[in-house]
Amino acid sequence: MTIRILGCAALLATAGLAVAALALHGAPSVAIVPFIAPMELRLEFSSTTLAMPFLAVIALVLPAVAAWGLRRGAPGDGFRLALFAVAMIGVFLAQSVAAFFFAWEAMSLVSAFLVGAHHERRNVQRALFSYIIVSQLGALCIVVALAVLGAHAGSFRFADIARSAAGLPIGLRSAAIALALVGFGSKAGLVPLHFWLPRAHPVAPANASALLSGIMLKVAVYGLLVVGFVLAAPLPLAWGVAILVVGLLTAFTGALYAAVDSDFKRLLAYSSIENLGIIIGTLGLASVAAALGAAALSTLALVALLFHVVSHAAFKSLLFLAAGTVAEAAQTTDLEHLGGLARSLPFSAPLVLVGCCAAAALPPLTGFASEWLVFQSFIGVLAIATPLLQAVVAVAIGVLAAASGLAALAFAKLFGIAFLGEPRTTHPAARESPDASVVALAWLALACIAFGLAPAFVFGPLRSVASSLTGDTTLTVATLPMLPVTLAALPFLGAVVALFLGRRWGIRFAPTWTCGSAVTTRSQYTATAFSKPIRRIFGFVLFPERQKTSDLGASHWFPTRIRYEVTTHDVIDEGARNVAAFVQRLARRARILQAGLLRIYLVYAVVAVLVVLVVSR
Amino acid sequence: MSVAIQFTLLVVLAPLLQGLMRSIRAKLQGRPGPSPFQPYRDLRKLWGKAAVLPAGSSAIAVAAPGIVFGAALTFATLVPPIGGETSLEVNAVALALLLALGRFALVLAALATRSGFAAMAASREMTFASLTEAPLILALVSVALAGQGTFARITASQAPLAGILAAGALLLVMLSETARMPVDNQETHYELTMIHEGLVLEYSGWELALLQAAAYVRQASFFILAALMLPGNGLSSVAWIVVLIAFIPLVERMYAKMRLFEVPQLFASATVLALASIGLRIAGLGAW
Repeated sequence: MTIRILGCAALLATAGLAVAALALHGAPSVAIVPFIAPMELRLEFSSTTLAMPFLAVIALVLPAVAAWGLRRGAPGDGFRLALFAVAMIGVFLAQSVAAFFFAWEAMSLVSAFLVGAHHERRNVQRALFSYIIVSQLGALCIVVALAVLGAHAGSFRFADIARSAAGLPIGLRSAAIALALVGFGSKAGLVPLHFWLPRAHPVAPANASALLSGIMLKVAVYGLLVVGFVLAAPLPLAWGVAILVVGLLTAFTGALYAAVDSDFKRLLAYSSIENLGIIIGTLGLASVAAALGAAALSTLALVALLFHVVSHAAFKSLLFLAAGTVAEAAQTTDLEHLGGLARSLPFSAPLVLVGCCAAAALPPLTGFASEWLVFQSFIGVLAIATPLLQAVVAVAIGVLAAASGLAALAFAKLFGIAFLGEPRTTHPAARESPDASVVALAWLALACIAFGLAPAFVFGPLRSVASSLTGDTTLTVATLPMLPVTLAALPFLGAVVALFLGRRWGIRFAPTWTCGSAVTTRSQYTATAFSKPIRRIFGFVLFPERQKTSDLGASHWFPTRIRYEVTTHDVIDEGARNVAAFVQRLARRARILQAGLLRIYLVYAVVAVLVVLVVSR
Repeated sequence: MSVAIQFTLLVVLAPLLQGLMRSIRAKLQGRPGPSPFQPYRDLRKLWGKAAVLPAGSSAIAVAAPGIVFGAALTFATLVPPIGGETSLEVNAVALALLLALGRFALVLAALATRSGFAAMAASREMTFASLTEAPLILALVSVALAGQGTFARITASQAPLAGILAAGALLLVMLSETARMPVDNQETHYELTMIHEGLVLEYSGWELALLQAAAYVRQASFFILAALMLPGNGLSSVAWIVVLIAFIPLVERMYAKMRLFEVPQLFASATVLALASIGLRIAGLGAW
């Protein structure tokens, strides 16, 4: 218990660090120059305006993770998570290439330890391996992108790079943006670099997943914002459109897989892909609007994406922590074996419902406010763009709408199957007591409700952040402050009245009608059945496969046992696996060079020396 | 017409709209059919009865009809009034997400009943809803495009052809939202084919009355939205509503229920219609 309290204190201290960094906004930057210092390795940190929403998100999520860890999870988690959060704060504060890369690598390394917490399991090893490979390749792209920009500016301080950004030749600019998009995109789970995410996030402990999904994905968004709107600003129109298209493709893919998945945590991971797709698609839109000269719309899009960053951090951390609570109570996160958790988790269940509603973008919660702003910015650009772009944006709105519909399906399934009805296993979950982990969920649920009911309080600060990037201060959205309340007042009143009438007039409870047979734990609908229509309708991308094996008893007509298995194929995942297999084959071939014989190595050395001599002659 | 008057008329006449369509369909099928006022009698009868719910269902199931009814009323207040300039800054997305709110509550309630039929209906309802979200929002955006991002001047810069295409998309969505042929069948009680009926299968008494009233109000709101998209304004919008009252039963009379997995094609066509409508406006052919 002492270790838990110390871990909790470490996390709270880190949250305090984030708050302190927020408070230090505008203070002169701190530079650490290593003693054998070439100027390129100067580590410079400062609290910028752009970092503020992200630091605020850390300060919002960490207390919840700290409180949750007091009762649940492994005892030592607090320290690892605090270290992880410190590294992320470092990324947000970094103001030189070396500092950014140092903090980024620290973050990736610590997160790898978090993902590999249960490294004795085979699937964890695989997930960890693909995570490390992708994040190192991504980091490589990022460092090259930053180096390209720094080399052009002649300085590796962000301030100097930003100053010379306007004069970047198009070739260099495109190269830097492309590399940054691959690097940060691989961290954010952009299609087609997303395949590691649904494996790595679910295998991490729940509190680590909360930080991985809630904050670390946003570090990638921050990186893209820094490159796109500060270091290589302005983004060319074509790149803006490309980012928009990739973002929306990601949003749809994530939503589709979330809709058909039947594991609590993997569904959440796919939903993270969806939300990051929305955020990055909106980032593309912001640069498109800026390129079209519509500064106010660009500001609106940036506010929308930052709001969605905050929203997603709140509800996704809540849901991942809840997944941990569920896993401890029911010993599984497989929706096919869950059910009726609302009865065994009476305190957590309503809070999870808030999170699910926010994730489904229902009014009046925070997900609604941010998604509404996202749609508003798309509709705004649709009204002013050139015809060809208008066509792209119109399709984009349709894709966004479809993604939000599929996300609603996914979260209705998540809550309905796991928390309502009857347990689907014979050993029901242990009953929870109101402890610190409930307080953690309540804190985040409160954030979901507060940001939704009073969006103006989030909108205002975010607008000043966005204005600092676009230089436009005219943006107002008159409808936003009251909209969530207007939409949700009558439904809320209706719910209260119905509950009141139910008590007043009494409701008779009778057995469920199932054509005369009894309701058993196995007669309920399953998560797989719930998503079957979607699996079938989108069969042309999901490639569903069904395997049915029956144990026949005495009669052919009355099998004693039927086993039914449904799998879908992720084309990109399989592609990635093929690439990995190819690389491994190549590596095995290359092993011939490493024969382990001293003579051969001497030959290599001689050849190398000769080559150097010839080349440098 | 001011918002308040339209809202009152909409809520009061919504059951009559359903009754009229039901009796027209009966006539088309060669049956005498019920009186157009039958929905009012049904509502009164149901409202006076006690509610029975499946044993073990949670508070969500009790509260859901209230949420659905509240969402339907809010939806009706957000529909721009016929024949008037209005400052109402309604938004396509807010309307769609409001519908999603009511649906979400009802689907959770269905899953809480533990009945396989209700859950199957919930699955289908959510599937169709996720597919109609795109055409619905796009059709509304197409109209909003005429008034720069809001419905503020819904009628001011209306373009007939683009409007007709958007209305077509909206009507196809409406077939699904109001559980009509060829998507669903309001009159079936054969468990495997129900969608909306299956969702409310376990409801009875005053809870069912709330759900049905909500369905009538939603349907009437969709009629007004469609009429506003069609050419003309004021009296001609009212005329369009009358035309639709006759037209929808005719559609229902002419088509059999589609197979479940053919319905997505219908929604794909709706999406194409909505995109074409936006395309017309983009191409500057709005004056047609």
